[in-house]
Amino acid sequence: MKNIDITLKVWRQDGPRDRGRFETYEARNISTDMSFLEMLDVVNEELTLKGEAPIAFDHDCREGICGMCGAVVNGRPHGPERGTTLCQLHMRHFRSGDTIAIEPFRAMAFKVIKDLAVDRSPLDNLIAAGGYISVNTGGAQDANALPVPQENANLAMDAAQCIGCGACVAACPNASAMLFVGAKVSHLALLPQGRPEAAQRAINMVKCMDELGFGNCTNETECEVECPKEISITNIARLNREYLKASLLSPFK
Amino acid sequence: MIHQFDTVIVGSGGAGLYAALEASERSKTAVLSKLYPIRSHTGAAQGGISAALGNVEEDKAEWHAFDTVKGGDYLVDQAAAKILTEEAIQAVYDLENRGLPFNRTPEGKIDQRRFGGHTRNFGEGPVRRACYAADRTGHMILQTLYQQCIKNEVAFFDEFQVVDLIMTDTTCNGVVAVELATGELHLFAAKAVLFATGGFGRMFKITSNAYANTGDGPAVCARKGIPLMDMEFFQFHPTGIMGLGILISEAVRGEGGILRNRDGHRFMEDYSPTLLDLAPRDIVARSMLTEVRAGKGIRGDRKIDDYLHLDATHLGKETLTTKLPDISSFCQTYLGIDPADSPIPVLPTAHYAMGGIPTDVHGRVICDGQGTIVNGLYAAGECACVSVHGANRLGTNSLLDLVVFGRRAGIHIGDYVKQIDMPQVSAADAADAQSWMARLTDGSPGPHGGRISEEMQTLMMEKVGIYRTASEMAAAVDALQALRERYQTVRVQDSGKQFNTDLLEVIELGNLLDLSLITAASALNRQESRGAHSREDFPERDDDRWLKHTLAQLAGDIVRLSDKPVDTSIWEPKPRTY
Ligand SMILES: Cc1cc2nc3c(=O)[nH]c(=O)nc-3n(C[C@H](O)[C@H](O)[C@H](O)COP(=O)(O)OP(=O)(O)OC[C@H]3O[C@@H](n4cnc5c(N)ncnc54)[C@H](O)[C@@H]3O)c2cc1C
Ligand code: FES
Repeated sequence: MKNIDITLKVWRQDGPRDRGRFETYEARNISTDMSFLEMLDVVNEELTLKGEAPIAFDHDCREGICGMCGAVVNGRPHGPERGTTLCQLHMRHFRSGDTIAIEPFRAMAFKVIKDLAVDRSPLDNLIAAGGYISVNTGGAQDANALPVPQENANLAMDAAQCIGCGACVAACPNASAMLFVGAKVSHLALLPQGRPEAAQRAINMVKCMDELGFGNCTNETECEVECPKEISITNIARLNREYLKASLLSPFK
Repeated sequence: MIHQFDTVIVGSGGAGLYAALEASERSKTAVLSKLYPIRSHTGAAQGGISAALGNVEEDKAEWHAFDTVKGGDYLVDQAAAKILTEEAIQAVYDLENRGLPFNRTPEGKIDQRRFGGHTRNFGEGPVRRACYAADRTGHMILQTLYQQCIKNEVAFFDEFQVVDLIMTDTTCNGVVAVELATGELHLFAAKAVLFATGGFGRMFKITSNAYANTGDGPAVCARKGIPLMDMEFFQFHPTGIMGLGILISEAVRGEGGILRNRDGHRFMEDYSPTLLDLAPRDIVARSMLTEVRAGKGIRGDRKIDDYLHLDATHLGKETLTTKLPDISSFCQTYLGIDPADSPIPVLPTAHYAMGGIPTDVHGRVICDGQGTIVNGLYAAGECACVSVHGANRLGTNSLLDLVVFGRRAGIHIGDYVKQIDMPQVSAADAADAQSWMARLTDGSPGPHGGRISEEMQTLMMEKVGIYRTASEMAAAVDALQALRERYQTVRVQDSGKQFNTDLLEVIELGNLLDLSLITAASALNRQESRGAHSREDFPERDDDRWLKHTLAQLAGDIVRLSDKPVDTSIWEPKPRTY
């Protein structure tokens, strides 16, 4: 263990309609054993003691599961390490004397609520547009009567790993939610119980994405690089296939 | 602002969402949650959900019920355990039909794996009973249920924190909540309210629980005079990462991982010669603490936060990367070590609350030893106590509890709200909550809540933790009363209204202090050792005096204790040996 001194440039913004600005803070004697969020806790404690407002940031589980945390660190959503959420990023990846810029996830569809906290509820609206199975499970059929090959189950599972953090949107130059939607559509289209509605689902979700102000996918692949769950862009390809099939064949246009 | 719904569900983990799903089929339903629904702690559950599907080997719901009762050291209500395990099968099928991607057997059936305490034929040997979606079972359940609730047009109020109940005599009429974004108070009038606010591991210094697990539901109920049940039973999981409490799954020991003390000795040989490192959770956790206290921890300073080693180096890189990839990456991320080269520093971590708000098998809250119902008030999930976990919960039975009893409560609510009228609420019903918040933010100088929180967590860990004695617990009760007094002077530094997380944290601290006091008082009262409650001064289980549930009612700064019978109608209590 050792201790480092770093300089932070943090985006401060009082509310959705207020103007934001970068503020500079010195964080001294930060143990390299700390997580990035613990480092922010330390900074906040000092701010509170000085009577200044602490930096607002979202977090809950602090173990990479809930998808609550997230900020752009030195230009990269969830920071420089691959396959980790911000809460899993550790200070040992930084050196004494480093300057670290911390900004909220930026996208037209995500409003800044305060400082680093953004409103990601548009992702919920995307689910509402069709990211579910509308079976009536009243007299549910025995699930063993719907055998699923393990390979499909695995692919569906990989797609369903998404924790809805929004890093893909923040990473995309067009602020598109295509990886998010692709993952949902793939997960459900790969399972027999999700097949019947696959066509309508793809169309509805893509349409909703446009309406909410998410951009278009132009194959930049940044989303895959920054996804903390390393969800593959092959899910976007699967979405495109469903979408294409759907718009050619489906009665819902 | 006043809102009206037939049904208000507080909490959007597995229990809340399942109840909302059922209730919304027949009533206008709102879900209030201080977190975004898919961020709820249910998402952290890895191991799986148990159900006697018998897909890979013979299994029966009856065996599952027996394991649940025995695992709970006979403090489980047996008829409830029967319901839990019989309805488990349909519950898993329902989830799968709604799109949950379970792992599959080669023939395409839902796959099942082993988990501690689940056996075939009343204890003959381990059975494969846990259905799972890789190590993401809870996450998948949450996603699936959330999608279904959205489909049913449940109204979601995200980042609303409930701070009070609106009650007249023994009827619940709604709740009071703070909206995080604005700091405003909202009143919700409702014919039925269900609490599904999850666990409260944050009472303890070292815990696997997330920041939001502060027991708000039980604390609000306690302040309304509703007794809490079996609060002395809190499960410690043996292997949390040192200092962080983050869970290292039982699977590491399942694959052959070994616990060692500072001399490199496999100390479980001394405590559980046959089951060794795979003995039940309460037994392993106790053994670890005994080592630490004897100065055999890795630092050897006998302090409560000293640790031991979980040695997986002999398993080889191959096994680690193929069978336990997540554990390896956890260790890399949090500790910067590779478990193939060096042992993992671990210590027991506070994990699961067996106790909580007492309910019947329909989720209806009961307020005394005779089972009197509080009209319109329900609870389900970890915050509730049916009781199907008794003195010690089996792994994978919690997710099951959420879906089975969340569903039952939702169905009962659907019927109940048809029979009654919408209650009247007025701004005056928010008066208590309002004056509490006004006091916290009145700008007068006062201490920061952080110190009190630290002291409470350390106190609970040291004095009401794994091993307990009368003198220590009595000291804890006194100290907690003093902390609750000091809490009255705490003030919130951040005086802004919008997004004031500081204020909400101070409110949560108040809840944790109340629950800590109730836990300590209940533990002091129970003069025996049973399941997770182990007393050095009363090391044996004592069925003659203590085969009964504890009911603990908060009355100002004292806790009134009474009891409630346990249902032992199926199996007679026997000594718990494995
Ligand atoms: C690391 C870990 C691994 C686990 N693994 C397993 C496993 O493999 N199998 C198993 O069966 N169990 C497991 N468990 C236990 C299980 O996950 C939990 O007991 C269960 O998920 C609790 O679900 P819940 O619905 O009761 O509450 P939670 O999922 O905790 O949800 C609580 C909800 O209440 C809301 N809430 C709380 N307070 C308020 C308030 N004041 N106002 C408004 N909303 C509020 C929160 O926002 C949240 O939505 C594990 C637990 C942990 C910590
Ligand atoms: S805080 Fe939960 S994923 Fe980071």
